Amino acid sequence: MTERKTILGRCPFGGLARPAAPAPEEAPACPGRRSLLVGFGLAGAAGLAPGAARAANAEEERRAAPDADGTRDRQPFYGRHQAGIVTSQPAAALVAAFDVLADDRAELAELMRRLTARTAALMAGEMPAPTDAKLPPPDSGLLGPGGMSDNLSMTLAFGASLFDGRFGLAAHRPKRLAAMAAFPNDALDHDCCHGDLLVQFNANTAETNIHALRALLKDFPDGLALRWKQDGFLPPHTIKTQGRDTARNLLGFKDGTANLDARDEALMDRIVWVDDRAGEPAWTAGGTYHVVRVIRTLVERWDRTPLREQETIIGRDKAEGAPLGLAQERDLPDYGSDPEGRRVPLDAHIRRANPRDAASADSVILRRAYNYSNGLTKAGQLDMGLLFSSFQSDLDRGFIAVQTRLNGEPLEEYIKPVGGGYFFALPGVAGPHDYFAKALLETTA
Amino acid sequence: MTTAARLTVSLAALCAAGALGAARAADTAPVGVTISDKGCEPANVAVVPGKSVFKIKNASKRAVEWEILKGVDVVEERENIIPGFTQTITATLDAGDYQMTCGLLSNPKGVLKVAASQPAAADAKPAAVSPMDLVGPLAEYKVYVTREIDALVTETRAFTAAVKAGKLADAQALYAPTRQHYERIEPIAELFNDLDGSMDSREDDFEKKAEDPGFTGFHRIEKGLFGDKSTAGLAPVADKLMADTEDLHRRVSGLAITPKSMVGGAADLIEEVASKKISGEEDRYSRTDLFDFQANVDGAQKIVALLDPLVQKRDPALVARVKGNFAKVDAVLAKYRNGQGFESYDKLAPEDRNRLKGPVTALAEDLSTLRGTLGID
Repeated sequence: MTERKTILGRCPFGGLARPAAPAPEEAPACPGRRSLLVGFGLAGAAGLAPGAARAANAEEERRAAPDADGTRDRQPFYGRHQAGIVTSQPAAALVAAFDVLADDRAELAELMRRLTARTAALMAGEMPAPTDAKLPPPDSGLLGPGGMSDNLSMTLAFGASLFDGRFGLAAHRPKRLAAMAAFPNDALDHDCCHGDLLVQFNANTAETNIHALRALLKDFPDGLALRWKQDGFLPPHTIKTQGRDTARNLLGFKDGTANLDARDEALMDRIVWVDDRAGEPAWTAGGTYHVVRVIRTLVERWDRTPLREQETIIGRDKAEGAPLGLAQERDLPDYGSDPEGRRVPLDAHIRRANPRDAASADSVILRRAYNYSNGLTKAGQLDMGLLFSSFQSDLDRGFIAVQTRLNGEPLEEYIKPVGGGYFFALPGVAGPHDYFAKALLETTA
Repeated sequence: MTTAARLTVSLAALCAAGALGAARAADTAPVGVTISDKGCEPANVAVVPGKSVFKIKNASKRAVEWEILKGVDVVEERENIIPGFTQTITATLDAGDYQMTCGLLSNPKGVLKVAASQPAAADAKPAAVSPMDLVGPLAEYKVYVTREIDALVTETRAFTAAVKAGKLADAQALYAPTRQHYERIEPIAELFNDLDGSMDSREDDFEKKAEDPGFTGFHRIEKGLFGDKSTAGLAPVADKLMADTEDLHRRVSGLAITPKSMVGGAADLIEEVASKKISGEEDRYSRTDLFDFQANVDGAQKIVALLDPLVQKRDPALVARVKGNFAKVDAVLAKYRNGQGFESYDKLAPEDRNRLKGPVTALAEDLSTLRGTLGID
């Protein structure tokens, strides 16, 4: 929590000057209300009993406030972990993967320093100072002249390709990080896969994510080349229920009912965060493996599938979301008493994904999925589906084990993973003296 | 015509539909009964178990009460229906035989039969076909599949031999007709996921596209023959395709085709057309998509033809629509016939592509109901 004080004390944007247009010393101060809110978050978290503290508690309390329009919602930037992983999901997502254009380690470190400052400013809703009107404006203006934080989080992750020969980092690659290999049902499009750097933008509105993406493109033209991107959305009214209601995916089924409780810190320490016990390079502590999958769902065909078949493919009833044979969405299926799959078929999606047996006990993942809708396929069918993300401390035991169990599931007839990749979400930035991946870039040979 | 007479006529029409009279689903239309001085009209009524609504009109000269009796027990009653008035009564009834009182105690009681849905009950859930009904169609379909897979083996042998002998023109000519045997029985062939992947996947299925080492089968050879215009390096791919085809033949020969895969296969074939063939993505080098298009449609039409008598009994309108749309598709495709085969996909006029889209999508919707119509889960 101490890191947040720096936000209170000084607007970090002063250190963000672009060489071409240095910001004046009297860069706009953080608005008073924002300071107040951060202070409230600090006090709120401090007052909680140890163990009861919940991630992003202040954010959630604020979002629940009836008068909040959300534009001043703000995610913490400094901390042991990045925001956008265990913090609650806002309605809009954008995932963008970049090729890093730096030539050597020093240029990469400089890029990461500047990215750190820019990310902190964007998440705080800071705007660059206006410039001469004869010049192009320094900001897209998409969020208006005042800017807004709008609950924006930007979560940075490195892909395996960053650890090739360019920067001398090969020996420091997170142990399990590799380019995502295709699973049997995948039809990966290389143009929508992988990347040196992944940025996951989450915010209350799509405009805020796009604003942040455009800011990066404008400010890092020679540092980052956009490789692919995918937008996603969730229903805002469902999000407002704070987890009481579960969003539906575009197949019409509730998706995420059995997801882990991201507010359970002990659970997140066990399942999500890499620590020094994992045998990983020391710099990775506090980070996590981030899997992104762009999974097209063949919705026309799905809509022409009998309801009962849809339900047996998923393993839940469509209306309530309850596991088949049970009444309530959150009822836990007892597969021990259903060894032949009479209630929930053995190859149903939920049963394959999480068999709830001893062998699969440690292969659980924290999911963070959004729906997406693009254009049409060449055949004139809808190109839409699930922008899936998962976070786990062990890629092999986590996503890869889960997806391997799912290989050959009947749902495959209706889904086609086409893009994504494996990444390592960096540890959080501790404070203004720190920057993204500093421990990797400075302390390793 | 008086109200009573009209009621009588409409009920008589309903009675004619089934041996026991009018069987109506609960929440569709109420069952009308008219009480005259002599009794109930109709005197025999049938409903399905669950909630039923009765509209009782008193056409007699005195106030009556109307009761549903099970033996001596009164299950439901409405007292004091004034002459000329109609009362609505809702009753939830289990299956069984009941009686209705019909005015004067001296009048004969009406018969109310509550029984599970019968074929005559148009609004009720369609009855599942019996396994016996499907024995014939399944056997005939197996014959069709066997004939196609036999032809696939024979023609693939000639095709791969031409590829290996470096006879480019021969191999190009054999490519599309050979594939048609596969495409006609695609839902059956696709039951074997591994072979479908190695025989019929497209380069889009692979991350490195056409250069991917996993890209084999018909479309890899297609790229060589029509894209590179050469048979160089294709011999191992041809050998693998031949071996896979023989493997597929073995596996299909030993396969017991289930009602689900046969009946569902008609929809699967049209989904293939709707999602891939109509866009010209399937045969991007040879542009022979219309061969595959026709073969998928042939395979679906075969299944529909074999099931026709069973579907006709349950939903004649469905059969009529499906046949009409198949005819439309066939008519557009016929414009592009060229001897034994088809013109290039590139010649398909945009307006004809749209003329195909409507009926194909309607077929996909209708054929997706085929399993449910026949009660096959």
